[in-house]
Amino acid sequence: MPITTTRRRLLAGSAAALALPAFARAQGAVKPRLTAISQWSAGSDGAAITALGKKFEEKGGVWQHSPVPGFTTEMMNKLRAQIIAGDPPACSQLKGPEIAAWSKIAPTVDLDAVVAAAGYEKVVAPDLAKLHKPGGKWIALPLQIYSTNMLFLSKRAMDKAKADKPPVTWADFNDLAEKMKAAGVTFPVANGGTRADDGQKFEASLAGISPTAYRAAAMNLDKKALEGPEMKAAFVQMRKITNWMDPNVGAQPYAINLKRFVDGDMGMLIMGGWAQGVLKNAGFKLDDFVIAPGPSDNGNPVFLLNADAFIFWQRKEPDLQAGQALMAQLVMDPAIQTMYSQITGSIPVRTDVDLSGEGWSDGQRRTAAALKDAVANNQAVLSLAHNMAQENGLTAAMIDVFTEYAKNKTIKPEEAVTRLAEAVEGSR
Amino acid sequence: MSNVVSTAARPATSEMVRRLPEYLMIWVPLLLSAAHLISFSIWTIWISFTPSTLIPVSGWVGLRNYNAVLASRNWQIAFDNLLLFGIAFVLLSLITGLALAILLDQRIRGENVLRTIFLYPLAVSFVVTGTVWSWLLNPGIGIEKLIHDLGWSSFHFDWLVNRDMAIWTIVIAAIWQSSGFAMALFLAGLRSVDTDIIRAAQIDGAGPIRTYVRVILPTLWPITITVVVVQLQFAISAFDLVRALTNGGPGIATQLPALVVYDLMFQRSQLGRGAAAAVLMLLILLAVLLPYAAWRYVQRRQATHA
Repeated sequence: MPITTTRRRLLAGSAAALALPAFARAQGAVKPRLTAISQWSAGSDGAAITALGKKFEEKGGVWQHSPVPGFTTEMMNKLRAQIIAGDPPACSQLKGPEIAAWSKIAPTVDLDAVVAAAGYEKVVAPDLAKLHKPGGKWIALPLQIYSTNMLFLSKRAMDKAKADKPPVTWADFNDLAEKMKAAGVTFPVANGGTRADDGQKFEASLAGISPTAYRAAAMNLDKKALEGPEMKAAFVQMRKITNWMDPNVGAQPYAINLKRFVDGDMGMLIMGGWAQGVLKNAGFKLDDFVIAPGPSDNGNPVFLLNADAFIFWQRKEPDLQAGQALMAQLVMDPAIQTMYSQITGSIPVRTDVDLSGEGWSDGQRRTAAALKDAVANNQAVLSLAHNMAQENGLTAAMIDVFTEYAKNKTIKPEEAVTRLAEAVEGSR
Repeated sequence: MSNVVSTAARPATSEMVRRLPEYLMIWVPLLLSAAHLISFSIWTIWISFTPSTLIPVSGWVGLRNYNAVLASRNWQIAFDNLLLFGIAFVLLSLITGLALAILLDQRIRGENVLRTIFLYPLAVSFVVTGTVWSWLLNPGIGIEKLIHDLGWSSFHFDWLVNRDMAIWTIVIAAIWQSSGFAMALFLAGLRSVDTDIIRAAQIDGAGPIRTYVRVILPTLWPITITVVVVQLQFAISAFDLVRALTNGGPGIATQLPALVVYDLMFQRSQLGRGAAAAVLMLLILLAVLLPYAAWRYVQRRQATHA
């Protein structure tokens, strides 16, 4: 159908559009359409977003998702190019402090009205909500939550070490690793060699030793905390962990070691909850491994928060605006969050979703319980290794120190503390 | 009178018309690429003095980006690696290239086949080279495992994951890739040596080694300089090979300047600093190319005066 727009009609249209609140207008007669970019192209991530797209189409929308495979930064390069060209997607993946940083370079959509209509703010953890409303207004919506410091234990390695309980503190963890080593588990810690992997080893150590120190050093970059005794203790613990890892992984991801992990050749994996989805996708059974919260010296679970989110970019086209409204409603919908998390292995953002039903794993239930506990004890903190605590530049400078420390065993813990403080100073 | 003028002008105009395609062929692409190159270089230099992060913005921060880059461990490691990699790679590829050329120069059978084999790596992209060597050099699956499986279990070759030796794996892969190029140039040089000179040396009683060292090799030095310059500019801009082979690891032990630029611009979203690092790379490149240009200029001057 050819679209003809006369000047008068256009004027009338814009007058009407201006008179109505943004989202009431968007839900008018036009067919909602959504242009979206994300890095989720394959595996459980790809499956989840495809399922979300199906739901969008069921509601009468046109789903135009362009995945950019690879690291998040590669998706960002596409986003940057589109923003500079003046043609941002209606909605894109973005998370953590990057939401605030990017919202400064292009106008975003004010979602306050839809969020209020859904009563969403009451069911989102406050620290998380803050990240998605940088100027006091909701401009992005979290989609799913992972903890980056979950502890995956290989059942076969546990059997070898005659252990039946997951370790609670770092001392328990170190004991169990020694036992596994003695019982013939070649590498008590299963690992990858990527930068994020090394970063996770550090953040899990520090947050497990002291969530307070973690908040001050990693999230607030407090100078005194960055040079504090907990930092050195964290580097000492990280060195122990790296000594139990396989040094031959090169720069490969942790996923290549999953078979050795399940076989009991490697014992424990410190990884985000997404590893459950990856293990399931690779054909391993849920009873091959146990999932527990990462070690915490005060006995209460520490939750290193990582949350994927969508940010909504301002567009003039009415069909895209309608698409944004529909997408926002879907992302906040408990049924959609349930569907999404059950595919990827994450937990829902909404704290009021019931995880007792079928389709949820014990690991997910334990993760959700850990989040509840951690929030109650003020031990839910933002992940540094996965770009939730700081912007990319600072994160990368800090991970440089962690990854060098993981691979170079001649660096002493106290040297690492100094280097980290310098790296933070240098990129501020 | 008018007759004379027209006859004088006609050949000039027709000459112009006749040569027009030539001028178009040469000057249009040349000016386009020069404009392209120069405008982007100037733009990068400008960005390196601005506080740009996520996207380019205007503003002036003086040398702040340069100071930050020069003070970062990443850049210092990258610069040290560049010195080591540049020197080792250029020298070793010269030596292997020359050795291969001299061996091929012995009028051996199957020269064409061998020449193709040695040149072939040049046709492979650096990403492929890097990936293949990353498998070969991985102690868990590559050469070390092969030798272990053959029975020599104390054999040790873990350079790829050894932070002190990892830079040498890049040297190895780069030499495998490009010593064929040096060989081709040297071979052409060897073949162009005047046979009369060689005969004269033989008549004077020089053996084959002496003939090479004293007579043939000295005629090759202009080619040597060309090879050095071409290889050096490759070494300075090396990116894809390292990214595929070690990705700057283990840790940050094999960083190179081009990796730092990419990392700053596209991973860390620090456009200003990335641009500053790129300008520093350009300066390093100029440090190689300017002396070469000056040398060429002096050569030409001497040639015309003679």
